[in-house]
Amino acid sequence: MDSFSLLLQGLETALQPMILLYALVGVVLGTAVGVLPGIGPALTVALLLPVTYGLDPAGSLIMFAGIYYGGMYGGSTTSILLNTPGESASIVTAIEGNQMARQGRGGPALATAAIGSFVAGLIATLLLAFLAPQVVKLALSLGPREYFALMVLAFVTVSATFGDSTLRGLTSLFIGLALACVGIDGLTGAARLTFGVPQLMDGIETTTLAVALFAIGEALGVAAMTGPADRLHRVTGRVSMTAQDWKRSWKAWLRGTFIGFPIGSMPAGGADVASFLSYATERKLTKHPEEFGHGAIEGVAGPEAANNAAAAGTLVPLLTLGLPTTATAAIMLAGFQQFGLQPGPLLFITNAELVWGLIASLLIANVMLVVLNLPLIGLWIKLLSIPRPWLYGGILLFATLGTIGVNPSPIELGMLILFGLMGYGMRLYGYPVAPVVVGLILGPMAEQQLRRALSIAQGDWQTLVSTPVSAILLTVSVLLIVVPMVLRLMGRGKVLAAVAGDTD
Amino acid sequence: MTKGFVPERRPRGAAFIIAAGLAGLAGVLLWDAAGLKQDGGYAGVGPADVPRMIAYGLLILSVGTVIAGIRGDLPRPPRQAPAPLLWILGGLGAQLALLHVLGFVLSGAILFGCTARGFGKKPLWRGLLIGLVLAVVIYGLFDRVLRLNLPGGPLEHLIFGG
Amino acid sequence: MKHTFLGVAFAAALAVPAFAQDYTIMAPANPGGGWDGTARAMQEVMQAEGIAPSVEVINVPGAGGTVGLAQFVADSAGDPTKLIVGGYVMVGAILTNASPVTLADVTPIARLTGDTQAIVVPAASDIQTLGDLVEKLKADPGAVSWAGGSAGGTDHITVGLLAKAAGVDPTKINYVAFSGGGEAMAAILGNQVTAGVSSVGEFAEQVKAGTMRLLAVSSAERMPGIDAPTIKEAGFDVVVQNWRMIAAAPGLSDEQKAKVAADIEKLNASAGWTSMLETKGWANTYLAGAAFDTQLAADIATTETVLRDIGLVK
Repeated sequence: MDSFSLLLQGLETALQPMILLYALVGVVLGTAVGVLPGIGPALTVALLLPVTYGLDPAGSLIMFAGIYYGGMYGGSTTSILLNTPGESASIVTAIEGNQMARQGRGGPALATAAIGSFVAGLIATLLLAFLAPQVVKLALSLGPREYFALMVLAFVTVSATFGDSTLRGLTSLFIGLALACVGIDGLTGAARLTFGVPQLMDGIETTTLAVALFAIGEALGVAAMTGPADRLHRVTGRVSMTAQDWKRSWKAWLRGTFIGFPIGSMPAGGADVASFLSYATERKLTKHPEEFGHGAIEGVAGPEAANNAAAAGTLVPLLTLGLPTTATAAIMLAGFQQFGLQPGPLLFITNAELVWGLIASLLIANVMLVVLNLPLIGLWIKLLSIPRPWLYGGILLFATLGTIGVNPSPIELGMLILFGLMGYGMRLYGYPVAPVVVGLILGPMAEQQLRRALSIAQGDWQTLVSTPVSAILLTVSVLLIVVPMVLRLMGRGKVLAAVAGDTD
Repeated sequence: MTKGFVPERRPRGAAFIIAAGLAGLAGVLLWDAAGLKQDGGYAGVGPADVPRMIAYGLLILSVGTVIAGIRGDLPRPPRQAPAPLLWILGGLGAQLALLHVLGFVLSGAILFGCTARGFGKKPLWRGLLIGLVLAVVIYGLFDRVLRLNLPGGPLEHLIFGG
Repeated sequence: MKHTFLGVAFAAALAVPAFAQDYTIMAPANPGGGWDGTARAMQEVMQAEGIAPSVEVINVPGAGGTVGLAQFVADSAGDPTKLIVGGYVMVGAILTNASPVTLADVTPIARLTGDTQAIVVPAASDIQTLGDLVEKLKADPGAVSWAGGSAGGTDHITVGLLAKAAGVDPTKINYVAFSGGGEAMAAILGNQVTAGVSSVGEFAEQVKAGTMRLLAVSSAERMPGIDAPTIKEAGFDVVVQNWRMIAAAPGLSDEQKAKVAADIEKLNASAGWTSMLETKGWANTYLAGAAFDTQLAADIATTETVLRDIGLVK
């Protein structure tokens, strides 16, 4: 009840016209940069930090929060329409979302992403307001072994992105894992696969790989196609969601929210992991398994809700402990410090008004985003009626802009071309590209958490199953692999489908 | 793009090339791992162990790909036109080479123009011109307004000043 | 027509640098970290104080700053408008990663700020003093797990120096490197590790709230407002400062170097910089010229010895 009245007070702060203006500027800027592949909210906030030096602290922090939420929003638009993920948390959105766009259902795909983000943002922000202290206590009880178990679970569920051949899916995943080895080993500082090239020491940038495989690979593939043009990118049907779309989306939104929020609040979680798990869950639970890989709306609704909920989740450790768990959170922390505020266990007490004002403006930013974005969908869709030569010229210009803006080195651009060619080749022979990126993201996380866990336990492998959480996660992972195998051995066809639909 | 193919049950040469590529990648991983310190510290798992495991995985997948190739289990890609590919790759290459000489706007215009040409839009100069306008707008918005650091060249200085 | 157009453009471009006194500062780290913070603080003050009309910051993250350093050396040689932020972590990273580019390849200008290191334990731990911790370390070095930043970084070096001073084999320390301050801090708060090392500022709020216990700080003297002994007081001869510096491009003429050094001195003397350091809670450790060069060489030598002792450098 106390929190509730504080929140109302916060809303009062946040509804001042000037504060509303800051929030509006934030969400517009955030959406704009979220659309750009490679340029994330972290860099935008960093760029704007000096600008806000003279502004009022509450206003600028609220603007940063708007950028953060807006950035998570914007990433889905390019994923769906152009098959070019704006950031790593939107990669799985591209799988189903772009298929929908190709079938002329870009409107409903964008709508379910926007509304799902809104629903998830709303619920997650309320959870942040009322449950932050409890959630953070839970998140802190997890250590490297639990994170390793979580990564194993994520790996098992990656198979959901494999497409129609396990061999080719696994191959893609392992190529990603191999690429993930490039760079300085986090635990010993040893340089792996860097061949003496300094730029490789930081490893392969996820966005570079994703943009190359998705956008450049796609452009090459479409351009090199002979014969009659397919129906690619034709806008047909309605822009808004049908009753059926709503029915299939709402549960996915809720599930995505409840997967995304806790994972986002974990110090080693992250929005990308949350979106992978959500996609896999939707694929497991769907009543339309045949549509997956060919434009299933749940595959857009779930991950988009999950990544927005995770964004709210990362604010939990930031506000309650001063723990920045993402680059954006780190730069927001710098923003707090610029105004002489030190987020930490005492922030909620010493600066209650500001914190509740921030939470309230997150709610408002969320409403602003959905109000801004729903009418814009019609406009975004029109992008697709741009003639292909101009459209792809623009896509490549934007795709390289991201890389150039972050680091204009020839090696980075060279990698973009190289991986673009690889993406083209993979497309030709039916290799899915998403698992490569997933491998690049999850590989180092799993390896480092495993080695940390073992180091703390001085090499005792039993540590991996020594806590309930890690034991349960690993058991679920094993079951997910073994049960389908056993079922396949016992019988095929309908029995399998029926049982698989029931379990989990 | 995978929709257009019909699987044919006959050996596929491409599969062997892919398998060789995977084995080669595994070889690079193993070679690099051999040169790393074998120090696992208290964890017992050192920096070379995980790359090695991934290399073994790649070798198994390579064998799997050979088997799939023999059984003809690989999609046959539709015929590809090389000219558009070369236009786009040329555009990307030109941007890479000229970025720091000509600046973001001009090299971006070349990329845009070449891509449009690759998609069959003639004449080339029209693509370049549209690309130029688009790149100027992008540069103005992101470099000047948002203060993102994009490489500037002569044209940027001319339009936007130092 | 295109030719004349380009010609004019080139002429304009060439004419510009002559009257521009701008700087571009490279922060060889992600936005949000200490180096990025230093670069952006400099940007703000230099512009506000009119030391430079326009200052840009670019981020080239990776490998303890060595990725940015390599790119800086390659791209900026002879360009007096290019600066790079660096620090003690970079010294360690250059050695640990066997970086082909070192600080000898740039023109160090001045040390600007510094952080003191702190050794903490979770509040729930039974360890009360640094003496207790070292006792445990002596009994079984593997059983004491340390959470800190990247391998070979300042945190790792601090643990190595402490072990050595306590007579424990530095190769036997169980140091667990975490990526980013947040994750290491979570591991300490969650009681996953025995102890943690990072800058005092990073832990200050937690210590104030009683969720962590501060055992010792790495400065030479006690820090005002911080209720903890120095490592030296506790009986171990270890003083570590995580300093940050600014360096200019390689291949500058003496006049060019003097101009940059003068601008940095102006920055250091400005009121804006003083108040900026105060807001950020950074100590002013300004040191320039020959004194800085000597100090830098000494730091590199000590670091190399420690990293050899830990076993990270062969």
